[in-house]
Amino acid sequence: MRKRRLEVGSVIALVLAPAMLFAQETGTIRGRVTDAATGQPVADARVTVEGTGLAAASRANGEYVLAAAPVGPRTLTARRVGYGVIRREIDVPPGDAVTADFALRAVAVALDAVVVTGVGTPTEKRTVGNTIEVISGDAISASPGATSIDRALQGKVTGALISQNNGQPGAGVSVRLRGTNSVLGTGEPLWVVDGVIVDNSSDALIGISANPSGARREAGGAALANRLSDIAPTDIERAEVLKGAAAAALYGSRANNGVIQIFTRRGRAGSTRGTVNVELGVTSTPARYELNTASRAGYADAVYAGADTLAPSVTRYNIQDSVFRTGFSARTNLSLSGGAGGTSYYLSGSRTDESGIVRPTGYHRTSLRGRFTQQVGETLELTASGTFIQSARDQIPEGEQTQGALTSIVFTPTAWKPFFNDTLGRYPYNPVIQGNPLAVINTFQAPEDVTRFIGGLEGVFRPRPSLTLRYGYGIDDYRQEDKYLQPPFSINATFTGSIQNPIRLSRQQNHDLTATYVATPAPILSSSTTLGFRYTDAHVDDISAAATGLPPEQQTVVGAVPTASQGLSEFRTLGGFVEERVGFKDRLYVNGGLNLEASSAFGASQRWQLFPRMSASYVLGETEFFRSSGLGQRISTLRLRAAYGETGGQPPSIYGRFSNYVGVGYSGKPGLVASSLKGNPDLKPERQREIEGGLDLGLFADRALLEFTYYHKRTFDLVLAAPLPLSTGFLSQLQNVGVLRNKGWELALNTVNVNKPSVGWRSTLSLAANRSRVEKLVTPNDTLVFGYLNAVIPGQPLGVFYGGIYVRDASGNVVYRDTTIGGILYQQMPLRARDTLPNGTTAFANRIIGDPNPDLIASLLNTFDLGRHVHISVLLDGRFGNDVANFTRRITEFFGADKVIEREISRDTFPRTFTLNPTGRINIYEEYIENGSFVKLREVAVKLRFDQPWVRKLGAETLDLMLAGRNLITWTSYRGLDPEINLFTANTVARGVDFANTPIPRTFTLSVGFNF
Amino acid sequence: MRSRACPLIPRAAAVVLGLSLAGACDLDLANPNAATEETVVTTVDGVIAVAVGMQQVYAQSVEDFALVPALVTDEWGTQTRALVSYRSLLNGDSFDPGYGVVSAPWSGGYSTIKAANTLLVSAPRVGLAPGFEKGITALAKLFKAMALGTIVMQYDKVPVDVSTAAVFQDRAVVLDTILRLLESARADLAGVTNTELTGFRTRVLGTGFNPLRTIDAMRARYYLIDGQYQQAIDAADSVKLDTLSVFAYPSPTVNPVYNLAFGLLYVAGLKSWVDSAEAGDLRPTYWLNTASAPAGNPPDTLLYALRKYSGQNDPYPAYLPDEMKLIKAEAYTRLGQYATAAALVNAVRTQTTSPVDEPVAGLPALDPATQLATEAQLLAEIAKQRRYELFMQGLRWEDTRRLGNLLTTTPTFTWLPTPTQECRTNPNAVNCS
Repeated sequence: MRKRRLEVGSVIALVLAPAMLFAQETGTIRGRVTDAATGQPVADARVTVEGTGLAAASRANGEYVLAAAPVGPRTLTARRVGYGVIRREIDVPPGDAVTADFALRAVAVALDAVVVTGVGTPTEKRTVGNTIEVISGDAISASPGATSIDRALQGKVTGALISQNNGQPGAGVSVRLRGTNSVLGTGEPLWVVDGVIVDNSSDALIGISANPSGARREAGGAALANRLSDIAPTDIERAEVLKGAAAAALYGSRANNGVIQIFTRRGRAGSTRGTVNVELGVTSTPARYELNTASRAGYADAVYAGADTLAPSVTRYNIQDSVFRTGFSARTNLSLSGGAGGTSYYLSGSRTDESGIVRPTGYHRTSLRGRFTQQVGETLELTASGTFIQSARDQIPEGEQTQGALTSIVFTPTAWKPFFNDTLGRYPYNPVIQGNPLAVINTFQAPEDVTRFIGGLEGVFRPRPSLTLRYGYGIDDYRQEDKYLQPPFSINATFTGSIQNPIRLSRQQNHDLTATYVATPAPILSSSTTLGFRYTDAHVDDISAAATGLPPEQQTVVGAVPTASQGLSEFRTLGGFVEERVGFKDRLYVNGGLNLEASSAFGASQRWQLFPRMSASYVLGETEFFRSSGLGQRISTLRLRAAYGETGGQPPSIYGRFSNYVGVGYSGKPGLVASSLKGNPDLKPERQREIEGGLDLGLFADRALLEFTYYHKRTFDLVLAAPLPLSTGFLSQLQNVGVLRNKGWELALNTVNVNKPSVGWRSTLSLAANRSRVEKLVTPNDTLVFGYLNAVIPGQPLGVFYGGIYVRDASGNVVYRDTTIGGILYQQMPLRARDTLPNGTTAFANRIIGDPNPDLIASLLNTFDLGRHVHISVLLDGRFGNDVANFTRRITEFFGADKVIEREISRDTFPRTFTLNPTGRINIYEEYIENGSFVKLREVAVKLRFDQPWVRKLGAETLDLMLAGRNLITWTSYRGLDPEINLFTANTVARGVDFANTPIPRTFTLSVGFNF
Repeated sequence: MRSRACPLIPRAAAVVLGLSLAGACDLDLANPNAATEETVVTTVDGVIAVAVGMQQVYAQSVEDFALVPALVTDEWGTQTRALVSYRSLLNGDSFDPGYGVVSAPWSGGYSTIKAANTLLVSAPRVGLAPGFEKGITALAKLFKAMALGTIVMQYDKVPVDVSTAAVFQDRAVVLDTILRLLESARADLAGVTNTELTGFRTRVLGTGFNPLRTIDAMRARYYLIDGQYQQAIDAADSVKLDTLSVFAYPSPTVNPVYNLAFGLLYVAGLKSWVDSAEAGDLRPTYWLNTASAPAGNPPDTLLYALRKYSGQNDPYPAYLPDEMKLIKAEAYTRLGQYATAAALVNAVRTQTTSPVDEPVAGLPALDPATQLATEAQLLAEIAKQRRYELFMQGLRWEDTRRLGNLLTTTPTFTWLPTPTQECRTNPNAVNCS
């Protein structure tokens, strides 16, 4: 502990010591960046002085200033996403200013975009043989109605399946890059913000949707939110996505699901710039349940809602009016940046308030950021940054929770009257599952409160142009407090009330040290060598207090029966890597790297693991041979690339290497009993091997760029619970036994369709297909089921739906039979098929009945610039060929709440075809698997930009007015409210299950932004 | 300035590297949430806790040891909520060796044996006083023997010890192992004084459990099963009958037989068992509540609720005193000493009171000259007395093997098959279907 403090202290000393600057002869560079075709100013172009750390960004009027540039001949580079790079030679006069204007040409090709690649030493994309997708900050920050980075990325990353799991405010998102690569471990990528590894866990501290951790952790157990939702999607300069092992090998043993790196804006020298942006939003549910409105009583009404018989005339109540509402949101962002004399800063603050479409949900977040950079001479740059976040969320139980508000709607016949009953002095208890949705909305509490600090320190030292040393330290420290209060007598007459108050204290730290040496051993050869060291440390303390037997109105943990528990986990990794990049004639680049890494979760004998990678990139289009060929006339850019890499995944249990003893009491004495799970001292990472190859093809003078990638990856050594001989005294052991394969392709087509002064039109089409296959489990006959139906079966895609099927005739039609049960004849009932077992007895048959994995994911972004002032963007996001298990319909039909029951009541179909179906239709899961393909109008925005004199009179350079929407329309044949949501939220295998979950709202926003 | 600023980075780098590599990043992190194998076997407190835990594992498994013998013979029936596997033990239908009821006694037994082995290895190493150490090793040997005993009474061939690919042994080898363990346990205790056992009694031993008497009772039980009749008689003679030796379930723990019958509502006594009793026998009403059928079961007429273990904290006996009399009666019969045997049978039949919680028959004596004069008469009467005296003690199935042709029941199964998980994972497993 003391040592760690010392370590941090030395870094602080490092930042403060060289605060004094030394004088040096400098000059100023200024100029303007415009669009070559339209003549319009280009904002946010990055102008850098090569060979130094000096950089500036153009303002809204296109102007930039580089103060204190070293005198002499220099090369200036101007870059902007969507434009080709331009380089200019200039001579900086001492004590004077030089002007350098840039007219950028719109292109779809981005070979010269700078990527960081997980090493910390920026390089041009052309030199890297693996796919690195770069998403500009504009696309993320301007995403209307998106309160988190992962939501803002939806539809913008080729090959990424990004699903918002739930529609409650602040609820989480699952990201799958090139499929799911684990069974018991996580499926989510590693998130790195400005070099800080940030926590994105989704452990359920309380059970709000699927049941919480503990007994059913493997089955569900994910919280509504994942922790990335704390980070505001503002101030982002760009995001880089490393999709698989071939790209992410240098992130080693935590990178099996890929890595997403976020880079935020930094201040630039020059006068102070600022933005103020206010966004107001209105949200509504995309759909409501279609419920039984028949005026006469049906079977469920008679059983549960007090109807005398199947008699005419009942009163029906549509409780949805009391549950759903119109939500409002307000978001304010402020930022200030600038710098002088080698110091630059970026300060920002944001505040979000949101009320959800289901009462009484809501979300509030305050975020404050600061980033300071000090340039010390030409060689040293020091950066300190910190983000303070306070977020609060009001949640409501739903899904699997019998007291859930939406759950209660789907379980209850509509003839039941839910309103407060004066005679009883309480809300009536639900006749089916007891919980009354109005009681839950009005008396339950399920808040979550997070206080978080994310900070980083960085020192970059360039003693000479060829050598760069970089040290980075990151910390992500948060306190998460959840509460779940169920008042006494709220559920039934014997319920004494319950309160849970878990608190998580989490701290993650990482240290990175890299040294890069660039050399040009021969005129046609370039070489870049990087040595690196990385150490990460995580400390998570879960403390929970709970009580039952609560006094009325009690809101804290005081009750007749209090309990407390604690769980502590500590986890560390340590490693070093070397990477060599060789360029030949600026055409051919070869990269190779080795990453040696150790983790505290690996058994001692497997502690150190080696993760190699290599890649090659060949810019064929720039060779003279190609240029002079016939193809070269038509193809403006052609690059071929290939990469291979290995990464690891941490074992699902960080203490799985130990044989643990569990505390028991016997006869009043404390004792220890060996856990039935045997420790595995040889536990090692799940190891992924990926190979990918592809090409970048530029056509029509680079106005169209086609990027195509094929990948094939196998994850070996998947950790699974292997049964042991019971005569060992154990039941099972975590062993590295499974194999999972994902393969597929990704295609992105970027085009500049029209580029005229009056009209600009760009398009991006992304297509991706992934096929997963479980290749090996502990035995070939294993079937592991997660959640309800999601199964892991050898030879099948991961997480297929596996369950009961209909009895069908020879031609495949469902057989309907008259069936007598308990002396009563039920006409034309479907039956669940049975299998005959080898011993002659029969059992219900289970088959693969669906697949939640899409065959194709696609998105299409169109942006239009109409004249100087109007910018329109339309983003369509879709997936095709995926199934959804509609458990919501299963229950609404069974308990007589669904609109389909009107057919029973009107005698259009037989009584009890659906309602309380006596022949077990409810277990014929095949019935409830539906095609979940959809296309969503994910984002649409109309932005008006004003820069007229009246705007300047307001003190601003430009004023933006934006009318936008998010998730406005969904085209789907799915019968539920929303095919995107998932009951089991961020669960790795249990995907595509809809069970009384809040749909993702339709959001309209209006925003005003000032730039000055 | 420059010269001062520049070396800082490498120096800081060296500090970071040095610190990280030298201890700040120790990767051998212990698990703070649970004791691990390494700590429990090397500390006094760890060994003591494992000794307590071993008793807990066995005590929580007594339902698994009692359940199968009670269902496959004629003691228990199943309530409507019982699992399919329970009914299949009862009537033999759709039986599957993958059922939990097949693996539960096996698993509970070998878990106990594993804990016992840990104690036998570790207790001598952690620096306990000789008396404390002998107390623990004797207890470990006793529990290992009892666990093996419950296993060998339910499965035909079984491993005699825990290991990763345990070899299955014939019954004679298993019985021999059990008896050697019991003799060794007795020798351990014989060498220490009561004073020397103080620490063992206060920190390890469960309330109401008497190790020495239980060792002797188990010796008597397994010598009889092994056909060593004189040794069985000698062992039974050394068991004093005026106190019990029990497993205790003080709150918050729960007697697992109670849980099975009243918590889970899976089992109840068979009415036919009551109906077959001799008129005037007091024991059926000791064991069962003959006034009440468990509610909600359509064939109410077939079942009676348990009376014994109807309290969730009721203790469960390691053995019942009258088992000793019946062991001796059976052994004397086998040795041809019929008069001695008859006297012991009548002692069981005519008992009307007891200082301890045990069933009493309250029946008239039988005439040794006419009714208990032959081996067949004696064994038949012994079988009957065992049926009512030792109800749901997990012994009835084994009785059918020694006294089969004299019993009125044919068990549904001769043995349990080896559990499926054992068959799939242990290459040496036998009796796999």
